Amino acid sequence: MFLCYNKMSFAIKLTLKQALPIASRSSIILQNVYNYSSKATSQDNFYNNFTDWETLSKKKKVSKAMRAYLERAKEHDEFMKKQQFEYNIGKRHLANMMGEDPETFTQKDVDRAVEYLFPSGIYDRAARPLMKPPEEVFPARKAAEFDEAGWPHHFLFYTGKPNFFKLLYDITENIQDLYKYGDKVIRKKEVTDEKLLLNITGSVWLTKDQLEQLLVETVTDLEYDNFKLAMDRLVSLPHSHIYKDFIEKFRKPLATQRFALEIPKPSYDENGNAFVTTYECLRKKARGDVTIKSPGTGKITINGQDLTYFEDTQSREQVIFPLIFTGMQDKVDIVCNIEGGGPSGQSGAIRWGIAWGLRSFVDKDMLEAMQLAGLLTRDHRRRERKKPGQPGARKKPTWKRR
Amino acid sequence: MSNFRYKVGPIAKCVFQTQSPRSNLWCTLMQYRFYPRPTSFPDYFQNPIFRKEDQAKLIESNELTKLAALPVKPPAAYETSSVYHDPLVSKLINHVMKMGNKKLARNLVEKAFENIKRIQIERYHLATTPEEKAKVVLNPKDILHKAVENSKPLLQLLPIKRGGITYQVPGPITEKRSLFLAIKWLLEATNDKERTIHFPEQFAWELLDAANNTGKVVKRKQDIHRQCEANRAYAHYRWQ
Repeated sequence: MFLCYNKMSFAIKLTLKQALPIASRSSIILQNVYNYSSKATSQDNFYNNFTDWETLSKKKKVSKAMRAYLERAKEHDEFMKKQQFEYNIGKRHLANMMGEDPETFTQKDVDRAVEYLFPSGIYDRAARPLMKPPEEVFPARKAAEFDEAGWPHHFLFYTGKPNFFKLLYDITENIQDLYKYGDKVIRKKEVTDEKLLLNITGSVWLTKDQLEQLLVETVTDLEYDNFKLAMDRLVSLPHSHIYKDFIEKFRKPLATQRFALEIPKPSYDENGNAFVTTYECLRKKARGDVTIKSPGTGKITINGQDLTYFEDTQSREQVIFPLIFTGMQDKVDIVCNIEGGGPSGQSGAIRWGIAWGLRSFVDKDMLEAMQLAGLLTRDHRRRERKKPGQPGARKKPTWKRR
Repeated sequence: MSNFRYKVGPIAKCVFQTQSPRSNLWCTLMQYRFYPRPTSFPDYFQNPIFRKEDQAKLIESNELTKLAALPVKPPAAYETSSVYHDPLVSKLINHVMKMGNKKLARNLVEKAFENIKRIQIERYHLATTPEEKAKVVLNPKDILHKAVENSKPLLQLLPIKRGGITYQVPGPITEKRSLFLAIKWLLEATNDKERTIHFPEQFAWELLDAANNTGKVVKRKQDIHRQCEANRAYAHYRWQ
């Protein structure tokens, strides 16, 4: 957010700085021209034969496009200033309403306050009330792309999307370079080091929105696909590690699951037995908590009953899945309280709770194995809602010609 | 444009004063509960490797470090690392299942396995010499694998229209489709029965027949193969 604001103001300010002196200068020049021309019309007609006043004045004149741009930039700047002012006032109002200090009220607090004061059950997140700094709401604008005479700076200006097409151009150029480099390597019969090779697992291409933000241009779906295709081809080439920096500019790392960082230490009861309680075990509509007691005999208690709480075998298998996987089935005792949902959701919630609690009792290798088995991933999927005009979430009515 | 978003009415203020912070928390929690949640995992989530032997294979081929950096999907509700878990059996259960009644489907398949076991144990005890006894397969899952393997077609007939006439053109079949057809034929053969005979019994017989390379399903597969052989002359219609 803050970064975005900085970039934005930088773009506008820079253009104003560049443009303002030109504007003041131009007004002086215009005055001069006026003086000269008035002189010329009054007495010295024959001077016109020696000096071409019209072309002289035209050369130094600011182009129409530049003038229009300056006007727009000024207007935009004022608009943003006004929005910023209103945002700050709104923030103070919110802080006062929530009974907090307006000076230390951050954007996080604003979001919380809006959510509390305007509770909304609207399905689409984008349609819910929000209050964001104006830099986030109003998209960033480009600085002037042409000089005062109206000539564009960029050689791809007339494509309409110079930054995007420059990017495609760069990719292609890099690909050509890599072909040449590959030929050279083959000619010299060199062997590339395995360690140098590009490893891009663990990151993905920028999404369309992120790319648009980076380029400050709108990109259509087709153009985005073309970008991805070109980048994929660049990456697939054998010596693509040469352009590692270029490639990584357009990749975003995936959020790694840092399960090892915040493993809780088990607590101890009056008998000196270790136990860990995991709250908020969720799956589908089921909610519950799971307690693991360390020296145990493999006794499982679900809502006061044993494993037969679940009538079907599949759910029972799910509950003991993490215990079997880690080989702890007769070393710990499990106590869980679960409510809501059906047997599948409840057993899934317990499975996650047990796996999450067992982190405190297993070694690092086993943790990695559990991670790879997906036992530590929370299943956040929910039932998809039914849509109006169709019989189900995805199901459509039978097609009829008429 | 977004002015209304910045301003906050006086009603909200009253609400805040009347409610305690405890209910505030509850309110936000309730709100989160009904927010939409994604119904699937993003593409970059890897499929889980939840069986110990599969993981051991990965460690041998040194691919573990590559996968460790990526997020992993949780295993499905029917998948476990238990020794009793078999992907083919869970696939079969899904084919037997009607109207989402998995409990009944699983029950039926397990009963069929029980019947197979009974029949095989009987055969085992009827066998006199140790060589004959060693020949009898007692594990129902082995019999299922054998039966499906024997029922899988190697070729398929595709209807292709050329010059107004539809020809049955033989062609190769994918592994997935061949597995699908094998299970489908086994179930079709089972459901083609007297009303007094129950599914588990008939299914057990069909599986035993197919595992022995005899019976309706194997005959059907051989018929398909024979027809493919007969229609060899049309094979060029696949690409012409």
